[in-house]
Amino acid sequence: MSEQKTIIKPGIQFHQIQTNKFKTNLLAVFLTVPITKEHVTENAVIGTLLKSGSRTMPNQEKINETLEGMYGAVLDSGIEKTGDNQVLKFYIEVIDDNFLPKKEDILTKALQVLLEIVFDPYLEKGIFKAEYVENEKEKIKQIIESKIDNKAAYAIDRCIENMYENKAYSIYRYGYVEDLAKITPENLYEAYIKLIHSCKIDIFASGNLQEDLSKKIQESPIIKALPERKVNLLKEENLSRIPKPKIVEEHREVTQGKLVIGLVATPEQQQNFNYITMVYNAILGGGANSKLFQNVREKASLAYTTSSNFVKMKENIFIRAGIEIQNYEKAMQIIEEQLQAMKNGDFSQEDIQNAKNLLLSTIEGIEEEQDAEISYYFGQEIAGNALTLEEYKKKIEEVSKEQIQQVANQISVHTIYFLRD
Amino acid sequence: MKKIESTLIKEQAYVEKLENGLTVILIPKPFTNKKYAIWGTKFGSIDNHFIVPTTGKEIQVPDGVAHYLEHKMFEQENGKNSLDVLMSLGVEANAYTTNNHTAYLFECTNHFHEALAELMDYVQHPYFTDENVEKERGIIGQEIRMYDDEPSWKLYMNAMECLYHQNPIRIDIAGTQESISKINKETLYDCYNTFYHPSNMVMVVCGNFKPEEMLQEIQSHIIHKPLQSTITRIYPKEEQGICQKYKEQEMEVSMPIFMIGFKDETPKQEQVKKHIAIEILLNMLAGKSSHLYQTLYKQQLLFSSLDLDYEFSEQYAHILIAGQSKEPKKVQEQLLYEIQKLKENMPEEYFERIKKKVYGDYVAEYNTVGDIARMFLSDTMKGIQTFDYIEQYASVNKEYVKKVLAENFDEKNMIMSVVKEKNS
Repeated sequence: MSEQKTIIKPGIQFHQIQTNKFKTNLLAVFLTVPITKEHVTENAVIGTLLKSGSRTMPNQEKINETLEGMYGAVLDSGIEKTGDNQVLKFYIEVIDDNFLPKKEDILTKALQVLLEIVFDPYLEKGIFKAEYVENEKEKIKQIIESKIDNKAAYAIDRCIENMYENKAYSIYRYGYVEDLAKITPENLYEAYIKLIHSCKIDIFASGNLQEDLSKKIQESPIIKALPERKVNLLKEENLSRIPKPKIVEEHREVTQGKLVIGLVATPEQQQNFNYITMVYNAILGGGANSKLFQNVREKASLAYTTSSNFVKMKENIFIRAGIEIQNYEKAMQIIEEQLQAMKNGDFSQEDIQNAKNLLLSTIEGIEEEQDAEISYYFGQEIAGNALTLEEYKKKIEEVSKEQIQQVANQISVHTIYFLRD
Repeated sequence: MKKIESTLIKEQAYVEKLENGLTVILIPKPFTNKKYAIWGTKFGSIDNHFIVPTTGKEIQVPDGVAHYLEHKMFEQENGKNSLDVLMSLGVEANAYTTNNHTAYLFECTNHFHEALAELMDYVQHPYFTDENVEKERGIIGQEIRMYDDEPSWKLYMNAMECLYHQNPIRIDIAGTQESISKINKETLYDCYNTFYHPSNMVMVVCGNFKPEEMLQEIQSHIIHKPLQSTITRIYPKEEQGICQKYKEQEMEVSMPIFMIGFKDETPKQEQVKKHIAIEILLNMLAGKSSHLYQTLYKQQLLFSSLDLDYEFSEQYAHILIAGQSKEPKKVQEQLLYEIQKLKENMPEEYFERIKKKVYGDYVAEYNTVGDIARMFLSDTMKGIQTFDYIEQYASVNKEYVKKVLAENFDEKNMIMSVVKEKNS
């Protein structure tokens, strides 16, 4: 695997990832902008609206007919939050030409289809088609309202919202129902033009590619029409320690309680803080060997799911557990004991090695999945790093016990959120 | 070893039945860094009544026992837990239980030899005590509670209750709080001794290795067991036709979710060909470019594509169409209308285009070692050779698909399960 980066024009980059592991080629376009309360909802609508029609494929029927004819090419999109930025992601996955029943060049076609969908939408009288806009507004409304359907994900989102009140990171990536009403075909089209003229654009191609696709991209009239831009991404200050944790309880109709604890770290000029914290987090709640799994689940039988995860961009750890509602106190006590044990250095070299093995195998797995590989290079791009997977592994291997214990003492509980009946 | 291959997608596999009856399937993938090993036994939640081959004793076990057994397999006599041992090697390890099988697996880039030794050791060495069986009850109890809050799981279980009168697919895989309270170490040993015999098991390994060496390595870890005759499984006789046309439940959801099902005869032959035909039909009827989807999308009765599935084993077979809509009944009506229309006229061009799409879907399943290994395991449990989906694809013509449409999409075998929002 190797990544080759080409600057198409300022603010627009192409990443070609060469790999022979897959039956498919995966192409992607990512549009990245600072997340703001004002624009988040319209961007979310744009993210789904673009799949309604393009200049030569004016409706979904035509788009889907085209994709089916390309041996079931899969067009996908997603709206995500990376740190304090909103990312609109568009993918197309096609079977590699070598595995088709008869020879065809569907890769070039896939690239055209993807670029056209993102940058050359279907318009009527110079603006988006009203019917499409209404449908997609309704769809976003439904997505926002269905947040509650998945209780585990809902609890995490709610913990973040409470933790980051009035800050960019609390903004929900799909936006807000009350802001949908203001959206019209005119102002949405204006917002779209502004978006594609100012956002950071990253184009990816992963697969067994026989040629350098950057030329095709550079020569595409669609890309030529895009102006160069100066990219400004948002990075707000991370949360710091508070004297007393914020406690939030929410009542919903659930049979199992969902506990989410948000932790903050206050790194004191710690070099390699993120790599050390990754190891810390793996010992605390990474896998079946972790302190949480062993103590909350295996020893106390309080939960089936319990783990923790580390959000690098915001330097937060989120602990979660699905527990019997009356066991809240018990679970809290055991979890606090684990945090204290980490501070006291109550973990062995073996625990550290286990945690590192877990992380190393995750890193080694990155190049085994095309979307994981693209996400990795995008993460590097956003963080302003250019770490190869080998270098990444080395950073993890170098973490020492002293460093982990030092980090443990910089970590504190910020918000305790409990979803219960 | 018997070599099987698909020249179209340039993949091959080796199949061997060992002396003790264990089926081994090896799929070499030279370009990956990974190896994925999965060891499955044909023992799932539906197998709750059987005759123990060694004693001839007929027993009926509490619901959820296959899943309980899966949880307890990791515990070892030396006090270690094999899941911890595997994870400490940096190996991604797991296990799962379905309606018709249980599987233990791991995936790794390094430490494969140690991990395979551990996997084969723990699956062959059960260690159940009163205390360790008791301890698991709380954990599984929480797992059941987690599913209780999951609308999509309730939707599926209710659909099964509509489709079947007696079939044990109606039983929740994990059982209930009540049924698991009756599980003890004796029950677990009875089930282990019956179903974890090599002749009832399949091992699949996919990744970068030499097949001959891998086979030898697997053989070196096998513990000798006396041969076992076939297990007699007792299933209640399932009546023809569906049990109940419609079932509805209220839960906390933002918009109703629905699952439409068609009960099918369990396929005895041409399973693969029929499966391909049903996938083509489901895409024509309710896929993304279908008239149904486009019509309902415009009316804001559907917002995202429908989940289309055909589930079958030797004991059950049904078609499932699931999604989310303000008005599930209208989706069902539209579906019936589309089925009628397609029965009257199946446009050639449409058929060919969807057939191409289904081919692409099959090829894309060969992207990761995990997907490949799991696919071979679950197909083998059904007596299917996985490459047949690619190889038989060309033989599925429009006439055959029309025949399957006429036989399997019949209103009298149709049910619908709905989970809708609470009116509070």
